[in-house]
Amino acid sequence: MTGILTSGLEQGLVFSFMVLGVFVTFRVLDFPDLTVDGSIVTGAAVTAMALTNGWSPALATATGTLAGFAAGTVTGILHVLLKSGSDATNYGPKLLAGILTMTGLYSLNLRIMGLGTSATARSNVPLLGEPTLIESIENLLSIELTTWRLIAALAILALVIKLVLDWFLHTEVGLAMQATGDNEQMIKALGVNTTVVRIAGLGLANALVALSGALVAQTQGFADIGMGIGTIVAGLAGVIIGEVLFGSRSVTWVLFSVIGGSVVYRLLIAGALRVEQIDPTDLRLLTAILVVIALATPTVRRKVVRM
Amino acid sequence: MNTRVAEPPKPGSDHDGLLVTNMRKAFFPGTPNEVVALDRVDLLVHPGDFVTIIGSNGAGKSTLLNAIAGTFPVDRGSIVIAGRNVTREAEHTRARLVGRVFQDPRAGTAPSMSIEENLSMAMLRGQRRGLRRGVNGNRRREIQDQLGLLGMSLEGRVSAEVAKLSGGQRQAVSLLMATIAEPRLLLLDEHTAALDPKVAQTIMDLTGKIVMERRLTTLMVTHNMELALRWGNRLVMMHQGRIVLDVGQKDKSGLKVADLVAKFHEVAGESLVVDRMLLD
Ligand SMILES: Nc1ncnc2c1ncn2[C@@H]1O[C@H](COP(=O)(O)OP(=O)(O)OP(=O)(O)O)[C@@H](O)[C@H]1O
Ligand SMILES: [Mg+2]
Repeated sequence: MTGILTSGLEQGLVFSFMVLGVFVTFRVLDFPDLTVDGSIVTGAAVTAMALTNGWSPALATATGTLAGFAAGTVTGILHVLLKSGSDATNYGPKLLAGILTMTGLYSLNLRIMGLGTSATARSNVPLLGEPTLIESIENLLSIELTTWRLIAALAILALVIKLVLDWFLHTEVGLAMQATGDNEQMIKALGVNTTVVRIAGLGLANALVALSGALVAQTQGFADIGMGIGTIVAGLAGVIIGEVLFGSRSVTWVLFSVIGGSVVYRLLIAGALRVEQIDPTDLRLLTAILVVIALATPTVRRKVVRM
Repeated sequence: MNTRVAEPPKPGSDHDGLLVTNMRKAFFPGTPNEVVALDRVDLLVHPGDFVTIIGSNGAGKSTLLNAIAGTFPVDRGSIVIAGRNVTREAEHTRARLVGRVFQDPRAGTAPSMSIEENLSMAMLRGQRRGLRRGVNGNRRREIQDQLGLLGMSLEGRVSAEVAKLSGGQRQAVSLLMATIAEPRLLLLDEHTAALDPKVAQTIMDLTGKIVMERRLTTLMVTHNMELALRWGNRLVMMHQGRIVLDVGQKDKSGLKVADLVAKFHEVAGESLVVDRMLLD
């Protein structure tokens, strides 16, 4: 039982940044962004390559995060090129922009992981023996990060990121970003260049996603090209579960909710894996079914209609 | 064109109003579906003028307001607002000078954000937005003062979601958002048409009060000829993309609805349906 609890908590917190990123795209920007399946790998790949090249874990993590920001801005720019007119409810170009970036990132991520090796591309970077953020924290505090301490450290990081995101969304620029997803025509008429705001917002969201990727690589000890598949649905599951279980009465509150949703989702997954008949390869199907069930609930449907 | 334009002249100078010259706008140009929505439109509005605009469906009234606000580029002609040639400026650039209220109360506000967040955003119209707190103490105080003037008891509900307000309340907030940063030009497009009569009356009275107090240069489109005659100091009638009647304060005060209908028949021909204009 504690195995389920600790692994669910750890995974839930590691992926909570990704869920926050998905929240920013789906809820704040009203932009169903599929880039995330690629940008989470980019975060992991860039961080892993930086680590194997001797960069400090903090710098490597920051660089991976920035790479995610860049990926998000590419989706934003593609969206500008693909859309015609200014119909904010036209999701086609938004979906296509994300799909194109995600597809391109697949090749790029393989290339990134092959950098500096004899291969042009690699699908996996092991981090055996490389110092990671976990060791950095252990050295800094001169303690050993046992399972529960690691969970505490991740919880603190999630809290800090949550507070920063909360602060940002309530600044002048942040309000303009919220309004871009809520009523673009209105905020444009108040003098805001919503094109730029949306590109920056997608960058921010994918930076959060890539941060999760960087942490996944460092906690599981490798970066892998397959780790991104299904990220968007897992992120959506976290957002929806969080909103349904913990509510969404304000931005400040809902940011907590979706972190909680991420943890609950990973606890469910960890629990499901204990069931003998369920194989790890079944997880994506389970996630999809979970999202479908959630969507079939009328109260959830009402919330999600806005997506 | 030149993007660095001098600051707009001080209020009261000759160029402080709106000058539209020889403007043309066609939709689907060069196709069989071409619609010339505006054709050779000239309009000089002095600062502080309150112009009401009437005309049948499809006359080009909304297109005129959209063109001035920069929703789309025009094919020909120029637009000068408060001494600044904005013809080639993007909508969000000229937004600094122009406040708008639309027919749909949902158009002017962000529904899932609070009243104070909406108004705080409006207070920053056309200004550079930074990483300061969007809703701060000073802004909140001013917002409460302004909401108090509406007489709708909204000042005690500043953190309520706008989606929770009634259509009338929402339109009142839209009106406040359009005017709180004192734009050089206020564009109202049938902004009371979607409200029930009593609420429409309230919003119209508020509009009059705000426009008078702040001496805002205003264009108001309406289908209601009574409204068009009662409010403002000038009346413009449009038909098929052109301005066909333009009466100033002196002549307007003697004008009756019947005169407008007669004028309308004169330009449009008896056969044309004017039921919507008459019914309102
Ligand atoms: N975005 C657009 N695309 C294509 N055609 C348009 C567009 N906007 C307006 N038109 C056309 O331009 C003409 C003028 O329309 P406009 O909306 O300006 O009329 P209006 O005077 O505001 O009418 P109403 O009283 O019905 O609001 C109409 O023939 C309309 O179909
Ligand atoms: Mg119209």
